[in-house]
Amino acid sequence: MSAYVEVTDLRRRFDVSKPWLNRVIEREPRKFLTAVDRVGFAIEKGETFAIVGESGSGKSTVARMVVGLLPPSAGEVTITGVSMTDPRQAAARRRLRSRIQMIFQDPYASMNPRWRVGKIIAEPIRAFDLIQGEGAIRARVSELLGLVGLHADDAKKYPHEFSGGQRQRVAIARALASQAEFLVGDEPTSALDVSVQAQILNLMRDLQDQLGLTYLFISHNLAVVRHMATRVGVMYLGRLVEVAAARDLFATPRHPYTRMLLDAVPDLAHVGRARVPVSGEIPNPIDPPSGCTFHPRCPLANDRCRAEVPALLDGVACHAVQEGRA
Amino acid sequence: MTETILSVRDLTVAFDTRRGPLTAIDRVSFDIGRGEILGVVGESGAGKSVTGSAVIGLIDRPGRIAGGEIRLRGERIDNLSPEAMRRVRGRRIGMIFQDPLTSLDPLFRVGDQIVETLRTHTNLSAKAARTRAIDLLAEVGIPAPERRIDGYPHEFSGGMRQRVVIALALAAEPELIIADEPTTALDVSVQAQIITLLKRLCREHGTAVMLVTHDMGVIAEAADRVAVMYAGRVAEIGPVASVIAKPHHPYAVGLMGAIPTLSQEADRLSQIPGAMPRLTAIPKGCAFNPRCPKVFARCRVERPEPIPVDASRVACHLYDAAEQAA
Ligand SMILES: Nc1ncnc2c1ncn2[C@@H]1O[C@H](COP(=O)(O)OP(=O)(O)OP(=O)(O)O)[C@@H](O)[C@H]1O
Ligand SMILES: Nc1ncnc2c1ncn2[C@@H]1O[C@H](COP(=O)(O)OP(=O)(O)O)[C@@H](O)[C@H]1O
Ligand code: SF4
Ligand code: SF4
Ligand SMILES: [Mg+2]
Ligand SMILES: [Mg+2]
Repeated sequence: MSAYVEVTDLRRRFDVSKPWLNRVIEREPRKFLTAVDRVGFAIEKGETFAIVGESGSGKSTVARMVVGLLPPSAGEVTITGVSMTDPRQAAARRRLRSRIQMIFQDPYASMNPRWRVGKIIAEPIRAFDLIQGEGAIRARVSELLGLVGLHADDAKKYPHEFSGGQRQRVAIARALASQAEFLVGDEPTSALDVSVQAQILNLMRDLQDQLGLTYLFISHNLAVVRHMATRVGVMYLGRLVEVAAARDLFATPRHPYTRMLLDAVPDLAHVGRARVPVSGEIPNPIDPPSGCTFHPRCPLANDRCRAEVPALLDGVACHAVQEGRA
Repeated sequence: MTETILSVRDLTVAFDTRRGPLTAIDRVSFDIGRGEILGVVGESGAGKSVTGSAVIGLIDRPGRIAGGEIRLRGERIDNLSPEAMRRVRGRRIGMIFQDPLTSLDPLFRVGDQIVETLRTHTNLSAKAARTRAIDLLAEVGIPAPERRIDGYPHEFSGGMRQRVVIALALAAEPELIIADEPTTALDVSVQAQIITLLKRLCREHGTAVMLVTHDMGVIAEAADRVAVMYAGRVAEIGPVASVIAKPHHPYAVGLMGAIPTLSQEADRLSQIPGAMPRLTAIPKGCAFNPRCPKVFARCRVERPEPIPVDASRVACHLYDAAEQAA
């Protein structure tokens, strides 16, 4: 039996070359940026798989490829066995579309500011022709508003009349309107205040329990990921360096980067902690280090690390771990 | 207590609008001692940045100080002429903002900017200032400072730029540094480096620091004391360990419970209903009363004044002796 979502050997390159004329004048070759490199993971139905990583690690690019917003350069995504890229499966993919929804960091950007919230939430219902009759649609919108903790009367308001947290509730209601069963959240709470973030995270977990939703949850915030995820993938410079059950990852991180990251995060429980600062910064993705891209910052790096890309084996992509010297 | 460097008493800041003045900061009081880091936290719009701007005399128009006093080593600085205040900034108060590029001029070499600050505020010769600039860059951890001193801001990574800004802020050996979200734009692994650096330098130089951030984790690690702001007022101020581990004010209690942490798993985050009020609709009495689980009649009519509780000061009627006796 295959998993609900299967991502295999996913890659995405972006052409970041200067315009043709500049290249000719400055005698520069074309330049490519590998945003996602050989990423693979599976998500079981009803679980929350989180991808965590620092800025530019490729999280959003993976998310956009998973929902079919961005074509991969190579590799494959299947959801309930349906390929998100294979042209021969276009019909099946169309049937799947309404069940997959994405929630973004800035809900305002994805809403028509001139539409009332009721119309915004009803839009997928109409687009996929899920319910017939205005009265029935209105009843469904009221039900959805209630589900996300808003009031039926809020349907009459415009997006700008809501706070950031309330707008994120509207975005979730709209995502659920199409009877979605798989939600991909790209930093859905990163723009919110912590007390409001707590409301949205609690809501997302309640809805998952109630409706059996499957989540792909993207965040740079490790504490939020720990709170939400059943399993976690850690990305660094376009590659998945560690995949583990959330509990194991936070209790016994194995990859040197995961360890460094967990050690670096300022946390509430660390009052007055004196830390060993992490060395270095994330290198330029256009010209990444050879071999294991983490080697310039890794205390365990050796010649093999500088030459050979470690494969993800048994949940960790690290030579030292595989050689038993980590 | 050590010598008080900054003393803010009943600071009130209003923004004049067409519909009359809006009070953004409402009778805020706190002190910062020599070598001490006071964390100022709160959700967006709480008034953290406006408080910082008031101290450095740079409130955005149409804002103005409408009441209270700000003293630097006992001398009033809230009523200085713009010219006199300009001399205080840079010389006696250093500034660090979220975006290093607000402090650095992209057109000038970083070394020249530090030298200029040194020449304006001290009587070092050009040659001595350059030597001192190199020392400063070394002190903030810029590798090969004698070479990097002639680089332009865009040649530095985000973390390195923020290090340069810290060097610039420290250049004239100020008594006080105002740092507004200094690590918010940085990756977590770099955030930790910057916090550690700021903490070490301020300790070594005996600089008082007002560290403004919405990130409780950063406060936990860096601050000695913390002020929790809500709707332009200080809800609770006290030693960082007690405010985080044993907060008294119902808002502080809710806030701490709402933050997911790395160290413990929580099934649900504690949730404060609603959101921070807008300036146009600050509730009467205690500004937190519509969201407070402990609200009682008095809270809706009378504003609570800060009361000493353990080692903290808490603005909440629950801690009033009269209520405790009742
Ligand atoms: N359309 C594009 N053209 C060129 N480069 C791109 C494009 N989209 C993404 N990239 C690059 O690909 C890399 C991964 O980007 P991505 O947005 O997936 O990162 P992320 O992990 O989501 O980061 P953040 O935490 O900042 O959102 C980055 O180096 C980014 O600059
Ligand atoms: N230039 C301005 N004009 C009008 N209101 C302002 C201005 N700057 C800030 N405010 C208001 O003052 C309050 C406090 O803002 P601020 O100090 O920036 O909050 P914080 O830094 O805590 O997020 C907010 O309600 C904000 O909208
Ligand atoms: S492969 Fe080598 S450089 Fe990369 S994380 Fe493992 S030990 Fe470090
Ligand atoms: S004064 Fe009243 S409303 Fe305000 S925090 Fe205390 S109990 Fe709550
Ligand atoms: Mg992203
Ligand atoms: Mg601010």
